[in-house]
Amino acid sequence: MEQAYAMALWKVIENGKEPKTAVAALRSALKERGRAALLPRIGRAFERFAAREHTKNVLKISLSNMNDSRAHKEAVSALSKLNVSGTDIEVRSDDLLIGGWRVEGKGYLLDASFKKHLLSIYNRTTQS
Amino acid sequence: MDNATIEKIIKEIEHYEPKEKVEHTGRVVSVGDGVVAIDGLSMAVMSEIVEFEETTGKSLKDAMDTEGSLYGLLLNLEEDGVRAAILGDTARVSEGMTVKSTGRILSVPSGEELLGRVVNALGEQIDGKGPFKKTTMMPVERQASGVIERKSVSVPLATGIKAIDSMIPIGRGQRELIIGDRATGKTTVAIDTIINQRYEPEESRPICIYVAIGQKESKTARIVQQLKDAGAFGYTIIVDAPASAPAALQFLAPYSGVAIGEYFMDKGRDVLIVYDDLSKQAVAYRELSLLLRRPPGREAYPGDIFYLHSRLLERAACLSDAKGGGSITALPIIETQDGDVSAYIPTNVISITDGQIFLDASLFNKGVRPAIDVGLSVSRVGSAAQTKAMKSVAGTLKLELAQFRELEAFMQFAQDLDKATADRIESGRRMVEILKQKNGSPIPVERQVAVLYAAIQKLFGGVSIERVREAESKLLDFLDAKYPQVLDDIKEIGALSDELKKTLGKAFDSFKSAHKELFN
Repeated sequence: MEQAYAMALWKVIENGKEPKTAVAALRSALKERGRAALLPRIGRAFERFAAREHTKNVLKISLSNMNDSRAHKEAVSALSKLNVSGTDIEVRSDDLLIGGWRVEGKGYLLDASFKKHLLSIYNRTTQS
Repeated sequence: MDNATIEKIIKEIEHYEPKEKVEHTGRVVSVGDGVVAIDGLSMAVMSEIVEFEETTGKSLKDAMDTEGSLYGLLLNLEEDGVRAAILGDTARVSEGMTVKSTGRILSVPSGEELLGRVVNALGEQIDGKGPFKKTTMMPVERQASGVIERKSVSVPLATGIKAIDSMIPIGRGQRELIIGDRATGKTTVAIDTIINQRYEPEESRPICIYVAIGQKESKTARIVQQLKDAGAFGYTIIVDAPASAPAALQFLAPYSGVAIGEYFMDKGRDVLIVYDDLSKQAVAYRELSLLLRRPPGREAYPGDIFYLHSRLLERAACLSDAKGGGSITALPIIETQDGDVSAYIPTNVISITDGQIFLDASLFNKGVRPAIDVGLSVSRVGSAAQTKAMKSVAGTLKLELAQFRELEAFMQFAQDLDKATADRIESGRRMVEILKQKNGSPIPVERQVAVLYAAIQKLFGGVSIERVREAESKLLDFLDAKYPQVLDDIKEIGALSDELKKTLGKAFDSFKSAHKELFN
C-alpha cells in the first residue's frame, strides 16, 4: 500500500507539482481516510523509490585510483559505446578493482577492471 | 602449487585477450523463497538465463572463493522489471545486487558422456565423477516435433512385465502414464522397464533417462544402485531434482531430461524417459507461480498447468525416417490420493497421454504385484507395435481375465456354482498367479509368450494355486534346458507358427511327465 502511495507521490512531483504542496495534499487525503499512520511508511518507501530512480539515471565510473588519468580517459571514451548522453556521471574510487575502471548505470555494465581480468584467468585455469 | 598448474596459469596469461563487453544489467529489488524481482533488464527475453554479479564489492580473494556462478531463469516479464527463479542457493542473492543478462536461453549438456552419470536439472554432474568434456548443448524448452516429422508407433518397447507386454503394450514413441496411490509400485514398473532394455541388442537398445522430481535422495541412490546391480546403469542417465532442491529446479528437471533425450533422438536413437513424478512437478510449478504472483486457478494451480505437462509430453515422438527415425517414449508417473483418478492433475495427464497403467492399492495389498488393474489400464497405440506372437496369446488372456473379474464379483454372493463357472474361476486365479512378477526381474518377450501360451493352453490347470509360480519358473528352466530353439525361434520370427505351437505342445507334455510332483 505504502509503495503505491510513494509511487503516486513521485509521479505527481515528476509532473511538476511543488513537493511541499504534493506532500501536504497527500497528508490531508490520508487524514480524511483515517490512514495518517501510513505516512512514515510512505516516507520510507518514497526514500527507497527515489534512491532506485537515482541509480537508474546515474552513470557511475569507478576507478581504482582517482589519480589514474589514463583509466579515467578510457572510461569516459567508453561511455560513447553506451550511447548515453546528458546523464549525471559520478566518479568514485574503488580500490577493490585493483586497477582499471568500471562503468555502471542506466542498465549497462562495462567492466575493465584488473579484478575482472584476474578473476577471468583464475576461473579459466581452475575450471578447465 | 605444482609446476603444471603454474605452466597452465602462464599459458592462460599469455593467451589472454582482455575484452570489454557492454552488458545489460538490472538490479535485485526483492528476493525470497527462490524468486527474485529485478528492476531493469528491459531487453531480456522470456526463459533467458541471467547471471547474478556476486563479485561486486568483494576483494579478489573473496571473489575467487565464491562457489561458481549463480544463475536465474526469467519467468515473468513485467512493465517495469522482471521476475526470475533462482537456480541455486537463494541465500547468495541480496537486495541491490547487479544482475547481468546473458542472452542465452536455458540449455543443458547432452551426449554419450552422460550415459551412466547422475546430473542435476541444469545438466551439471552431481556424482563426483568429474565434469563432462565433449557435450552438445540442448535447449531445455523446444518446440515439439510436428505432424510431418512424425510417423506412427510401430516398434514395441518391451517392459519385461507380463501383464503390460501382453495386455497394455507400449510402443516406441508412445506416452504411457503410470498412475496409482503412494507405495503401489509405480517406480518399480518404470525401473523394471529400464532394466529390461538390457535384453535388447545394443544397436537398437533405447537410451534410458530417469528423471527424479521431488524424490528423497535415499530413494534415488537406491535406484542408482539397483540399476548398477542389474547392469542397466551403463545405458541410463539420471536427472535428479530432489525434494531438497528449489522449486525452480524441480519444475525444470523433466524439461532438462527430455532435452538430453532429444540429442539422442535427433541422432536416430530410441530413448525411454521416466518422469517420477509429474504430480510433484505440478506442485513445484504451483509454488513458483504463486511466488511469481500469477493468478491461481483450480486447487491454486496456475492457468497454464495443462500446458506445463502437454508441452513436455508432446516432445515424446516417433520421428519419420526422413528425420532419422529416432524416438522418445515417455513414461510419466502420477501419484493419486486415495485412488482418485478424477482429480485435476491426473485427469489432465490422462488426457494428454496415449494410455495409462493403473496400479491399485487394494490389489497390491492382496499380494497381486505388479498391482495392475487391467480393467482401468489401457494402451491406445501400443497394440500396433505388439509382436504377432504376443498378440496371439494376449487376446485369449484378456478375455479370460475379464470373465474371471466378472465372476469373482458374482462369486461373493452365490453359494453353489456350476462346474463351468467354477472351472473358469479356477483358471482365472491361475492366470492372476501367472501375471504376478517379482520386483526387479523383468522377463524377455519370448519367455513371456511361452509362459502365457502355456497358461491359455491350461497347462497349469492341474497345479495347485500356491505352486503355479514355482511351476512357471520350472517350465522356463525346462524350456531353456530341453527346448532352447523354441525360445530363439519365437524371438526371431516374432510369431507363433503352427509348427512352433506344435513343438510347444510337445514341450508342455514332456514337462508334465518330467514334473509329476507339480500336477495333481
